[in-house]
Amino acid sequence: MKRLMVILLPLLTSCAVYDAVTMTKYDPNEYLLISEIRVDARHYAEACANPVMSQPNAVSMARKTELFQVYSENLPSNGDGIKAATALNEIAQGLVTQYNISNKVSPIFCKLKFEGIEHSANTIQHVLGGRPR
Amino acid sequence: MTIDDINNILASFANCDDPTFVNAANYVAQASQAAQAGQMTPQELAETLKDLQRQMEIIQDMQQLQYKERLNTAINGLLAIIGAVY
Repeated sequence: MKRLMVILLPLLTSCAVYDAVTMTKYDPNEYLLISEIRVDARHYAEACANPVMSQPNAVSMARKTELFQVYSENLPSNGDGIKAATALNEIAQGLVTQYNISNKVSPIFCKLKFEGIEHSANTIQHVLGGRPR
Repeated sequence: MTIDDINNILASFANCDDPTFVNAANYVAQASQAAQAGQMTPQELAETLKDLQRQMEIIQDMQQLQYKERLNTAINGLLAIIGAVY
């Protein structure tokens, strides 16, 4: 036992191990939010050719990614999660900004935006789902 | 560096083993072709390329989180073994 403690103690005091032990546990609300973002992005990408739908879809997506970022912000020991949520929200806000500059946003730009959001949401969802229970 | 040079670099990623780089190269190629064809403004192209950087940041952050998850699993497993033995 003493020998094991000699091995474990330095390990447990290192930063990486501390981060791993204290990391945020699986949160079903967080997982649901990122799943919704992924599904919405997939459907919104298909509606980019329709100018009546694409702008409200962009606003709706930006609200949801903002909610995801705000929700992640105060989860303890969640540094990497906060950074990813912030970057995802920046991608979504960028589309709304383009609509604020000009009503004529290119359908291909809109499509690439939503595909990027879907791809990133998939990456995040995969890791959030693996958080310790 | 010319557009052709950039396209050659992107094409070299197409045969890469890592799907992350293949997807990223396809994303950039699609955006630059759309801009060249006049389907996208230069501002939109710039924003699309910034998005790619953001996507790469997300991949990096999530890899870090995944390492911590694995370490957490290993530590808990080790603690369970210690608990069972002692």
